[in-house]
Amino acid sequence: MKKYALFLGCTVPVRAQHYELSARNVAKELNIEFADMKDASCCGFPMKAVDAETSFLLAARNIGIASKMNLDLITLCNSCTAMLSDAQKQMKNNEFYKKFKELGFSYPREVQVRHFVRVLYEDIGIENIKKHIKIPLDALRVIAHYGCHYMRPSQLYGFDNPEVPHTLDEMINITGAESIEYVDKKMCCGGSVLGIDEALAVTIANHKLSIAKNNNADALISICPFCTVMYEDNQRKAEAKFETKYEIPVLYYPQLLGLSFGLDRNAVGMRFNRIKPAAVLEKINPAPFEESDR
Amino acid sequence: MIDLKNADPDFKWKIIKKEGGKGLLKCFGCSDCAASCPVRYFDERYNPRKIIRLTLLGMKNEVLSSPFLWFCAHCHACTERCPQGIMVADLINAIKNYAVEQGYCPEGYKLQLDLLKRLGRLYEVEDFDLKKRQRLGLPPIDKTIPEVAKILEYTNIIKHVNSKPNDPLIQEKMEKE
Repeated sequence: MKKYALFLGCTVPVRAQHYELSARNVAKELNIEFADMKDASCCGFPMKAVDAETSFLLAARNIGIASKMNLDLITLCNSCTAMLSDAQKQMKNNEFYKKFKELGFSYPREVQVRHFVRVLYEDIGIENIKKHIKIPLDALRVIAHYGCHYMRPSQLYGFDNPEVPHTLDEMINITGAESIEYVDKKMCCGGSVLGIDEALAVTIANHKLSIAKNNNADALISICPFCTVMYEDNQRKAEAKFETKYEIPVLYYPQLLGLSFGLDRNAVGMRFNRIKPAAVLEKINPAPFEESDR
Repeated sequence: MIDLKNADPDFKWKIIKKEGGKGLLKCFGCSDCAASCPVRYFDERYNPRKIIRLTLLGMKNEVLSSPFLWFCAHCHACTERCPQGIMVADLINAIKNYAVEQGYCPEGYKLQLDLLKRLGRLYEVEDFDLKKRQRLGLPPIDKTIPEVAKILEYTNIIKHVNSKPNDPLIQEKMEKE
């Protein structure tokens, strides 16, 4: 049994419960235990553009909570991963650490900060996860969307390839689904500029939606709640702006993995996907349907 | 047109002192950052190289009042390719931080700051959310985290944000009108 502190951030626990639910249920299958972080706040990333030091202090307080729990930390959001990793680096800066202590916080032991998918890849491993696959999703072809802060900046992570990432593709392929090869895999979702210029953010998001459509993808696989906001919640806006129809479901990776584990569709929260993934579920054999959902 | 008569020779030193700003002098203007930038790919009004050049030249007002400074998505595509090893996204972030200090803070960030001060998170956790979580078998979460306000008071960030009503995006709108 491996145990980690689970950092939820702002968006996941109130806007992406299906991500959290599927991650928790997939973890259970893989014998991973999550400890909840009481009093964990926003990671700090939204304030980085306003004042980096404030964002580091917010992030450092959060990793301090995991440190006191004597556990390494798992995140579900890419930007939380970057922000908390950034703060971890700051802890070695004496001047910063002094301010952190002055606020009454503590960091008794070093905490490793990693994204859930990275932990699956590194700590559990592809071969081990493969043993849990009960229903190969052979009929599905999907587009992997990494999101920027899953592997960049590489100076902070030293994981995967920052130009041509591959770990999520590998993780998708073990479910039996085909992860479609395409260019611009590392393209940004546009989420960070949504609050500054919505039209620009939607234009950036549209790029991958059009790639998904041109490749006849059954779904786009996301590992970040904010990327999902761009591809799912703003999909209608992209359709309107570019006068097209996408209707591309956006699934969180643990949902896909959970389906291949043979988990009940409700255990991976399939009814919370805003672009209805009915066509995805129909292609899975035997279907993870429930009579009441038909 | 750049008129160096308006240049502020201290500007670049101010940026270098900010968190993330120390790589500024290493830039030799190759434009790899602009070529790698996903935002620039879709909107040429954003150009990280131009922002960095103008900063080095001391064109303080031009840089700080530009609405396009805020178009950086902080995706680090530039950082990965900079031949000088500059953390370009963090450098642009340092310029944003200085802009806020000088009174140029986009309204969106002010709203987020207000939420963080009151709640400690970006979304209000309603009873409805807690009930939904309970129904799904998810553990309860804290509605507010008061220690966040303590940090915001400590760094005095709220004062910076409200120093002058000088939102560049509002300025742009006014110019258009």
